[in-house]
Amino acid sequence: MKTEHQQRVSKILIPLDGSASAERAVDHVIEYMDTLKQPPALLLLNVQWKIATGNVKLFIDQDTINDYYREQGMAALQQARAKLDAAHLPYQYHISIGTPAEAIVQYAREQEVDQIVMCRQGEGGLKMLLLGSVVSKVLHLAECPVLLVK
Amino acid sequence: MLEMFAAPQFWADVVKIIMIDLLLSGDNAVVIALACRNLPPEQRRKGILFGVGGAIGLRIVLTFFAVSLLALPYLKLIGALLLIWIGIKLILPDDEHDEGNIKADTRLTGAIKTIIIADFVMSLDNVLGVAAAAKGNVSLLVFGLLISIPLIAWSSQLVLKLIDRFPYIIYAGGALLGYVAGEMLVSEALLAPLVEAQHQLHWLIPASCALLVLVAGKWLAMRRVVTSEVVNLLDGKVSVVPDKQG
Repeated sequence: MKTEHQQRVSKILIPLDGSASAERAVDHVIEYMDTLKQPPALLLLNVQWKIATGNVKLFIDQDTINDYYREQGMAALQQARAKLDAAHLPYQYHISIGTPAEAIVQYAREQEVDQIVMCRQGEGGLKMLLLGSVVSKVLHLAECPVLLVK
Repeated sequence: MLEMFAAPQFWADVVKIIMIDLLLSGDNAVVIALACRNLPPEQRRKGILFGVGGAIGLRIVLTFFAVSLLALPYLKLIGALLLIWIGIKLILPDDEHDEGNIKADTRLTGAIKTIIIADFVMSLDNVLGVAAAAKGNVSLLVFGLLISIPLIAWSSQLVLKLIDRFPYIIYAGGALLGYVAGEMLVSEALLAPLVEAQHQLHWLIPASCALLVLVAGKWLAMRRVVTSEVVNLLDGKVSVVPDKQG
């Protein structure tokens, strides 16, 4: 007879932008899966920049815009999904539209995830200086622990 | 010709034009890509090619058209007012209005028509801004056009990322547009006698126009309801039947 309360499954969020470095976070999670007593639920997230603003909507219908986001988002998730499929791990995936860091943190809050696993981005130098990094913004905004994979 | 490059004023104008081009580069690249999405694949390349070519051609024509129009009396006044409005619009957050009645066109001619009309509408602010900042200097105009061409073809995320990193860039841009509008007012022939009499108006008018854009933009932005930023588009789930191999 099982009287112990059902153990809560922890949730890990992996944000992906389609780059090879972002997928290192997936590799890391797969690798460490075996060491965990209970496998956590995996959530994949891709955030699409909201490129279609007011003016674009005057000329392009919303369905076409959403199709475009969906296609781009699925392409960004493709590699990570293939890896998880190959490892026979279940997962959820999600595509949001907005600014990446804010959308990642918001989704983490909505889903009450226990940890965000990201890769410390490879890009540096001028690009980093000009565009900043999503990682540092997530670190600043997130309400849950963030694991950075080197 | 050469001493032009030594003048600090020239370089200040170059910076102004780059800034205006960047912030008002419009969403041409997005519209071109999206309008061609529903075309059959073999026509897509053609559509994009015609779209980009048409956009560049249209922008060149519009720029020289704007410059000759601005030489007429009174029109600088109208141009300056338009620029102030464009500056305020830049500061205002995007308002969400759903246009329900546009249909995706699956024919090449339809896609190209959409692109050209969109290019026309989206280029107006950029063209007016660059024409005003160049103040009739042809090499500056050509420079402004050259800068805008790669932006027509490729920009889309660049500007968004810049604004995300440096949110105040839109206020700087708005103030710059106001300043340029003020400079155009100062050079309006109608106001010439007044400006000649009161020399400080040369900087006072542009500065007040910049301030006007900032204050009006900020005030209107505060009144506008901020819509939720993040949109959820798609949810999916893959559950794996645990299949033990071996």
